[in-house]
Amino acid sequence: MKQVLASLLAVLLMAVSAPSVLLAQSGPLRIEITEGVIEPLPYAVPDFVAESAAARDMAQRIARVVADDLTGSGLFREVPREAHISQITSFGSPVQFADWKAINAQALITGAVSSDGNRVVVKFRVWDVFAGTELGQGMQFAGTADGWRRMAHKVADQVYSRITGESGYFDSRVVFVSESGPKDQRAKRLAVMDYDGANVQYLTGGNALVLAPRFSEDGQRVLYTSYETGMPRVHVLEVGTVQSRIIQGQDGVMSFAPRFAPNGQTVVYSLTQGSNTDIWAMDIASGGVRQLTSAPSIETAPSYSPDGSQIVFESDRSGTQQLYVMPASGGEARRISFGQGRYSTPVWSPRGDMIAFTKQNAGRFHIGVMRTDGSEERLLTASFLDEGPTWAPNGRVIMFARETQGAQGSSSLYTVDISGRNLKRVRTPEGASDPSWGPLQ
Amino acid sequence: MHTGHYISGGAHGILILWALFGGMFRSDPPEVQVAEVSVISEAQFAAMMQPQTAPQLGAEPAALPQPDIDTQPPEPPVSEVQPTPLPEPAEPERAEPDPVPRPVLPEPEPEVVETLPQPPAPEPAPEVEAPDVALRPIPRPAPRVAPEAVPQPEPEAEVAPEVQETVEQSETPDVTETEEQQATAPEAATTEIVTEAEEPARAPSASVRPQSRPNRPAPAPQQTAETTPDPSEEPVTDPAEEESSADATASAIAGALEEALAGASTAAASGPPLTQGETDGFRIAVQECWVVDVGSQAANVTVTVGFDMDRSGRVVNSSLRMLSSEGGSGTAIETAFQAARRAILRCQGDGYNLPPEKFDQWKTVEMTFNPESMRIR
Repeated sequence: MKQVLASLLAVLLMAVSAPSVLLAQSGPLRIEITEGVIEPLPYAVPDFVAESAAARDMAQRIARVVADDLTGSGLFREVPREAHISQITSFGSPVQFADWKAINAQALITGAVSSDGNRVVVKFRVWDVFAGTELGQGMQFAGTADGWRRMAHKVADQVYSRITGESGYFDSRVVFVSESGPKDQRAKRLAVMDYDGANVQYLTGGNALVLAPRFSEDGQRVLYTSYETGMPRVHVLEVGTVQSRIIQGQDGVMSFAPRFAPNGQTVVYSLTQGSNTDIWAMDIASGGVRQLTSAPSIETAPSYSPDGSQIVFESDRSGTQQLYVMPASGGEARRISFGQGRYSTPVWSPRGDMIAFTKQNAGRFHIGVMRTDGSEERLLTASFLDEGPTWAPNGRVIMFARETQGAQGSSSLYTVDISGRNLKRVRTPEGASDPSWGPLQ
Repeated sequence: MHTGHYISGGAHGILILWALFGGMFRSDPPEVQVAEVSVISEAQFAAMMQPQTAPQLGAEPAALPQPDIDTQPPEPPVSEVQPTPLPEPAEPERAEPDPVPRPVLPEPEPEVVETLPQPPAPEPAPEVEAPDVALRPIPRPAPRVAPEAVPQPEPEAEVAPEVQETVEQSETPDVTETEEQQATAPEAATTEIVTEAEEPARAPSASVRPQSRPNRPAPAPQQTAETTPDPSEEPVTDPAEEESSADATASAIAGALEEALAGASTAAASGPPLTQGETDGFRIAVQECWVVDVGSQAANVTVTVGFDMDRSGRVVNSSLRMLSSEGGSGTAIETAFQAARRAILRCQGDGYNLPPEKFDQWKTVEMTFNPESMRIR
């Protein structure tokens, strides 16, 4: 009986104390947030201050290229200059953060340009408006007047990197096939341009059909397939001198779909002998070749992983085109694509975590991404014909070719963020296809 | 039995009658064809057999009368508009030869990359003594049920790159008709991404099947009589075990007493706790400013940020600090922290809407930003 009474007392005391425990919230208030918003980050970039009269025009143009780069990435939204409350008249004067907070600019980019003849100096700072502090340190670039666009891209890369924590991709180039003329008589030339379509320069004439150019890791060489001899042959071209040579030229065989290994010394490509197509690797210096696949089916479109240890490629060994991964030295391949439709042109991401591909299903073409084990497949685009993805050097954006339907249809280049947002066209003077994104310079 | 004989006899009889009366034995001679002939003399026969002579040609026929022909050719009709000579075809433009590929030199690399010295700090704002109590007016509590009907909300605007006001037809007819336009607004922020490939089709892909009839309620289980324990089977407790149990009870009572007393003293200092609504309001205010870049490495990082607040609901900037993180690399963690910090600072305005009388409950906050549900899957 005594024990029962004691137990009752204990229960009573605990019941009395419970509300007071609830009332007494000891320690900090803890809150978990699991839902945010997906929207571009608002920023302001007033015209850069011209520190000399000769630099006035260039100061404005540089600020505009920086704004175009950042806004074009889809991750940033420029607050219009008409909304600016305070003006930046001197690069060294303090920033009135309240004025920039009022227009909801989260980041502010200030800069100045000075010009002394052909020498131009660009300096800039990035500000976290709401924290009232500078993001990183101010920097300056010096170069010739001809290189003003590169300096603007470099400023934009720095801003992008400081805010997102990832490297940029604005100071990079793309090699592609420039197309002119109707579909049945289309002239194709190799060309190189800035990532945004500016500064197009041609690498080959239009006398021979050229396909599938691929930049080397250092951006100094380009591999491509040419029909100059009547048969598709793999060529390598030095971008600096525009000199090209055949690196695979056996009689009676077709070689195509070349790609550099990350070390720049090995080239992997497809070789057709009879009715069988396999993947081969070649050491450029010695010319030694090695067969990597030997299945009685079509294996093509090889692409190395960033560490050079694996190769993803497409094969129809299962009856339809699917994606496979094998060791870089050849050997047993494992299939990674299992969805409906046909998968082709796989490309390994520079980050190493994803593979981009072309997918054909139900009469439509898609550009998609998946994990390297084939999981988490995600289609980013859908159209009459999308193909040939290539990754930006930071692995954040994919460029590809989109062809419109009909006899008058033409091919253009598009970019899309790997989240599927910000699909936009890259302006080129003529039709364009087969892009290959070079490294950050 | 004699049927055969009768048939045979009948048939023979018919045959004999047909032979007798059918004309089989008639002796009439066949008809003779007669042709008429005439007798001629030898001279007549010779004259008949002599070959015919060619006819004699007559005199030349008279010449046909000639029509009157004008020797001068007719004048061609003169057209009213004199044709003008066509211009000489212009020489075809020479097609531009394929540009000869020239060495492609990259734009000159900027020579110097250097960091700049720290800029001058902005002039500090004049310090103002902040009152202990927030100056913000405390909103009057609104009735839960509105006395009047709430007007219908405006229809959602279509997404368009530019803002466009709705144009409606006025009641009084205008001379110039204005085309009715739908209101548009720029794309708003979202919490999820729909790619071009995922855009839903306009037509339904399948019709909705009718729901199946609910199952009949199951019959209540039959109650069974419970067995009552036999008092004789009551377990016998060990005296030593009973003593240790009493000790444990006593210590539990002492602990509960201590806890209750301590709790009472803390409660007196902190006041009432925040309600769920107040906490949710604070959480929603911050999450509206938390911009998540779902494609970045920072989207793999969960960070917990600690900060202090003053009585007006404003964050003490210098107190913002990262307490912990989970996932991602160093750079991604720093980026995730910066995004969380911006969210906390940007949405505070003149201070978060928290009850001043419960200041002790929210003067220190630990906020965890977990983007797991927003990551690209």
